[in-house]
Amino acid sequence: MEKFVTVGRSDDVPEGEATAFAVLDEEVAIARVDGDLYAFSDVCSHRRCNLAMGGEIEGAAISCECHGSVFDMATGAPMNPPATEPIAVFPVREEHGEIQIEL
Amino acid sequence: MTTPGSIVVVGGSLAGATAAATLRDEGFDGRVVLLGAEPLPPYERPGLSKEVLRGEQPIEEHFVRPPEWYADHEVELRTGTRAVQLDPAAREVVLAGGKRLGYDRLIVATGCRNRTLQAPGASLPGIFELRTAEDSAAIRSAAAAGARVVCVGMGFIGAEVAASLRMLGCGVTVVEVFETTLYRILGPDIGRVLEGIHRDHGVTMVFNDTVASYEGDGRVEAVVTSAGRRIECDAVVVGIGTEPSVELMAGTGLDQGGGIPVGPTLETEVPGVFAVGDVARHDHPVFGPIRVEHFDNAVKMGAVAARNALGGSEVFADPHWFWSDQYDHQIQMAGFAPTWDRMVVRGSLGGRSFCAFLLDESGVVRGTVSLDWPRDVRRSFGLISAQAVPDRAALADPETDLRTLVTAGEG
Repeated sequence: MEKFVTVGRSDDVPEGEATAFAVLDEEVAIARVDGDLYAFSDVCSHRRCNLAMGGEIEGAAISCECHGSVFDMATGAPMNPPATEPIAVFPVREEHGEIQIEL
Repeated sequence: MTTPGSIVVVGGSLAGATAAATLRDEGFDGRVVLLGAEPLPPYERPGLSKEVLRGEQPIEEHFVRPPEWYADHEVELRTGTRAVQLDPAAREVVLAGGKRLGYDRLIVATGCRNRTLQAPGASLPGIFELRTAEDSAAIRSAAAAGARVVCVGMGFIGAEVAASLRMLGCGVTVVEVFETTLYRILGPDIGRVLEGIHRDHGVTMVFNDTVASYEGDGRVEAVVTSAGRRIECDAVVVGIGTEPSVELMAGTGLDQGGGIPVGPTLETEVPGVFAVGDVARHDHPVFGPIRVEHFDNAVKMGAVAARNALGGSEVFADPHWFWSDQYDHQIQMAGFAPTWDRMVVRGSLGGRSFCAFLLDESGVVRGTVSLDWPRDVRRSFGLISAQAVPDRAALADPETDLRTLVTAGEG
């Protein structure tokens, strides 16, 4: 059963950027690249830095500004050390000008 | 090149563990032995002057891989095992105690040791250095709130330790040979910005002075400086630089004071032997032969050397990048710029939020330094790698995306 929750408005997440949202107890980042949305944990699995603030997006990858770990925003997989553990990713959709994710 | 049967990594370090992990990631199914001189499995060192020193995180949180990872991936991790001599003719390393271990490829990641200060009283208890988890724990045990600590040297280690000790409530006095903090790497202008931050956090700083002797009855009680100051203290932390641990290469001619020389692909002149991380003096395609002691470099060199040990020919050309956390501030630096001709700043030095570009006499961007302005350091990688000569007004303008200046600079 789908349980999508609204996290913000579509224009909260401009193209090419990631934005942080607090959803229940989760820190979630939502990024938009080439029109596609990605929702993932905003907390780096290496030293718990926030990814959306200062993270650099290249294609479907985001790098952590603290220590350079890179994650695949679609799968959460670590693509470059020092992180060796994945981050959580969430289903995301856009409806009626709102961004919704499923936790 | 034939596929090696066994690969030995000397150094249970970030670079060494990353090399071992990369061998498995690349599908290598031969024997992998990882030799670590310390009792712990490989761990990351940056936290030793920060979260671990302050008791906020246990060392286990800083392990490069969980302890069980090594056995799970058939990596023979031998902690407490020091390799003391290379025998290139036999393709063996000699271990402390005399046992020998054969290799088809060898990756040397032996790192550095701290420089020591030869001064009367230097062996008194209460005088510490910082390199290992054990060192960090020892400093922590001496750094109760209210303890008076002298930090000798205000490079990155000294500055981070001073910050952490203030955060723990210690009284901190610094004795630094240069005229300000971080002078040798960041120069006087940025150094003074950091000096101001430490002063605002209550650190007492003595510049242009050195330790002449230590005094104490059974334990250090005071530092006496060359200028005649006497600073009473309960503990001392010495952070005055490092030297590469090259002894393994004795007899090969590669045990050089500036580090083990490696070519662009991280291979040494000894067939089948690579060197990575702090110990490697690397012939960098952009910067020339250099040795650096950065976390990110250890990770990336470890990975590249592993792939090249398996037959690759990847040139290591990373623009280099590191960070330093002090109080709630973060410094980042990219590139390699031991000296520079001109500094262009976007943001404000006085406002303690800036990105500074270090240009050589031709206007080439050799390095980038930021304080609480991180995004632009990573965005400057392209400029540094391309040896670009960007427009200075554009560099100084925070609205200009540095990534757009790479081609402009080349034209």
